[in-house]
Amino acid sequence: MTQDGDGLRDSSMEGSELHRRLTAIWSTPSGLWGALSTVDHKIIGRRYVTTAFVFLALGGVLSLLIRLQLAQPEARFIGPDRYNQIFTMHGTNMMFLFAVPVMQAMAIYLVPLMVGTRNIAFPRLNAFSYWVYLAGGLLLWIAFAVDTGPDVGWFAYVPLAGPEYGAGKRADIWAQMITFTEVSALAVAVEIVVTVFKQRAPGMSLDRIPLFVWSMLVTSFLVIMAMPAIMVASSSLILDRLVGTHFFNPAEGGDVLLWQHLFWFFGHPEVYIIFLPAVGMVSTIVATFTRRPVFGYLGMVMALIATGVLAFGLWVHHMFVAGLPRLGESFFTASSMAIAVPAGLQIFCWLATMWAGRPVFKTPFLFVIGFMVIFVIGGLTGVMVASVPFDTQVHDTYFVVAHFHYVLVGGAVFPLLGAVYYWFPKFTGRMMSETLGRWIFGLIFTGFNLTFFPMHILGLQGMPRRIYTYQPEMPWSGLNLFISLSAVILALGFLLFFVDAIRSARSGSLAPANPWGARTLEWATSSPPPPYNFARLPVVDRLDPLSDDIEAVPVASGLRVDRRELLTSSVVHASPEAREASPGDSIWPLWAALASTLMLIWSIFSPWAVVWGSIPLAITLIGWFWPKGVPEDEA
Amino acid sequence: MAEKVSSSSKAVFALAGVLFLAASGAILGWFRQPRELRLDPPLSANLDRIKLMPNGISGSPPESYFAIGKPYESDAWNLSQGKRLYAWFGCGSCHGDGRGGVGPSFLDGWWLYGPEMVSIVASIRDGRPHGMPAFRDRMTSEQIWQLAGYVQTIGSYKPKVAAPSRNDDRQTRPAENRGPAKILFDEGPAGVHPDQGPTP
Ligand code: HEC
Ligand code: HEM
Ligand SMILES: [Cu+2]
Repeated sequence: MTQDGDGLRDSSMEGSELHRRLTAIWSTPSGLWGALSTVDHKIIGRRYVTTAFVFLALGGVLSLLIRLQLAQPEARFIGPDRYNQIFTMHGTNMMFLFAVPVMQAMAIYLVPLMVGTRNIAFPRLNAFSYWVYLAGGLLLWIAFAVDTGPDVGWFAYVPLAGPEYGAGKRADIWAQMITFTEVSALAVAVEIVVTVFKQRAPGMSLDRIPLFVWSMLVTSFLVIMAMPAIMVASSSLILDRLVGTHFFNPAEGGDVLLWQHLFWFFGHPEVYIIFLPAVGMVSTIVATFTRRPVFGYLGMVMALIATGVLAFGLWVHHMFVAGLPRLGESFFTASSMAIAVPAGLQIFCWLATMWAGRPVFKTPFLFVIGFMVIFVIGGLTGVMVASVPFDTQVHDTYFVVAHFHYVLVGGAVFPLLGAVYYWFPKFTGRMMSETLGRWIFGLIFTGFNLTFFPMHILGLQGMPRRIYTYQPEMPWSGLNLFISLSAVILALGFLLFFVDAIRSARSGSLAPANPWGARTLEWATSSPPPPYNFARLPVVDRLDPLSDDIEAVPVASGLRVDRRELLTSSVVHASPEAREASPGDSIWPLWAALASTLMLIWSIFSPWAVVWGSIPLAITLIGWFWPKGVPEDEA
Repeated sequence: MAEKVSSSSKAVFALAGVLFLAASGAILGWFRQPRELRLDPPLSANLDRIKLMPNGISGSPPESYFAIGKPYESDAWNLSQGKRLYAWFGCGSCHGDGRGGVGPSFLDGWWLYGPEMVSIVASIRDGRPHGMPAFRDRMTSEQIWQLAGYVQTIGSYKPKVAAPSRNDDRQTRPAENRGPAKILFDEGPAGVHPDQGPTP
């Protein structure tokens, strides 16, 4: 902590003077250079969300291509080789470039606002993580454009993805894209953990943290514990393929099942990494639109944590047909069914909240209701496939495709769309259209169910997944055509959503600071927030700190206004501990990301890339951390 | 993105964007690596028309080989198919893992009939007098070219970028993408089978 007296403080400053000084110190300069070097969590968060939605659209186009090819038996629209790439790209893109990043992106924007601070912890790392994520996405899509897209499925099982059968660089592109996205995901997870633990507004003790923030905290821990497994796996895969190590070669003492264990040790928590943030969004939306706090706050938090812990004890249910010992299968059946308990608990808490509240059926809330219906169906089929005899029948059939789209789209995309409608005014300062919103919800909800429900039946009729065509003698053609037509309805809904989002961002009606009458701190500042988020940092004395009069929130003062400064607070009680500098804009994260990109892509071709590529990386890191003599460098 | 951008830098952005799209389109077209799972029958028939020198060494490949972009030496998919054919057709029973046996070694740095694709194709297709059987009637021309590309890869001193990696088997030598011929080069003066090779 700096000594008293140095630096200019905000204590006795007037509103307009304070605004002028804070803007000068926190705002991002205009122009290209400013855009490339900004570390503002709001700008980066918006960028992240936009990019992730672009990937959603691209992945959606791929799914339509898949459905086009499968609409008829023996169709010739897409050849088998291209098809393999397309469906691998769809899965990979949706999981690694859309679902996980978009949830973290929402958190990058919202968490600092919801805990009442001025920027995310490690803001330059945040900028770095975005560039790395973008580079990973470009790598995958450019490779696909030149016919080198991965073709081994989104879980890239060996030996199919291994050196003997995975010819060319396709599987390496997949594995290295993992490195990019996991580096960025890990970076964001660390930022969020530190922001939540150390930068909460004074008085926001653990039992006053908004549920969305809790869910992102748990998610971030899941990321930190799960992602290393997949990075180990994908790096070993690259080593096997490039330099001929034998991690997955049984003839030399390696093990193919090792891949499956490593992948699913990450892969199962992955679905909770996608789902838990969505749970947080649902809780937030439910509370706002029923006009009361969520029923059973403590139970909700405990359920989040329990889900997070249990998530690491289920991975083997993806390997039931891989030939495991009986005891193992029984154990993982039991644990898989057990996770339905915390999920069910949360569903009942939301229902109780609605029951006791006065629900207002606006678009965000409609999406939440859609989520509940669809997610419960997905959960039921989940409990079904958790049982080994049943799974042995339907494994690798369309039943599983139906199941996981019910949980992924129902459990994550529906809440996400609701969240976009809900927080859009905060992100852009404008409202999305309520009328269009209802149409969009209707189209997506209907389209989704018509598309995916029949897949359960197809699966029970024995249609295998991941096939590029099927024979006319099979009894599947009618339903497949029906599904493909329904997918058009679904796509129409999404198209309309994008239209509404783009239109509203430019010319939607202007939003007040708190359009929904919500009770969390992000609504205590203007829409969109000024670069410094809060003119004076709020002080929290209860779970829902906002009343109808947002001016009435108590605030703290005494922060310097001649450098970027924020408050750090204690983990449990959030009592203020220190005034802390927050790093300013810098172009070095971009250079460091470019150097990492160079090294990672080069290392697909030569192991020496790791040696020579680390030199530019080291240079950029030195530039990044070199003291620049700015006020932010002071203690 | 909602940050404020001045109009001049907007123009720069737009220009850069257009240039970027054009450049990436061109690069994409250049790098495209389509995988031909089955060659057009006329093309594959034409692949057979290699012209050889009278002694059966060296010559020129058919037109179609250039037309399809010489894929058999440098395309990962074809090379890996070649590797598979090498095992399936039992080449290893005489040539071992490439280091030879009854037949000559491919990676000692010595080619009895020269390292050109046409020579290798001719060896496989028509056989050679000192014990190399002809495979003309056992596989398609396309497969012969794939196999030839792979055999050439085993013996190349500089590992090809597209060379296949190890198999999921016991390892007897470094995989082709590690450049075994560079490591296992044999000074000579001649291979283990002085009786083999072209008769002068
Ligand atoms: C029955 C044993 C045998 C089998 C099986 C065999 N080869 Fe040969 N191969 C030979 C012998 C012996 C020679 C040397 C012939 C000579 O010098 O006239 C040879 C020569 C060659 C050459 C020329 C080498 C040079 O240095 O120019 C090539 C290429 C070749 N074989 C490829 C193959 C391929 C590919 C297969 C599998 C389809 C195969 N061989 C199967 C015995 C065999
Ligand atoms: C929006 C409309 C969508 C449609 C119409 C759609 C359709 C499909 C289809 C037809 C398949 C191929 C199934 C197979 O052959 O095995 C598939 C696979 C898959 N989808 Fe989707 N999907 C959609 C959205 C999503 C979303 C939002 C996610 C993730 C968040 C997702 C994740 C996956 C995954 C992981 C696979 C498995 C790929 C593989 O087996 O390698 N999909 N999808
Ligand atoms: Cu799972």
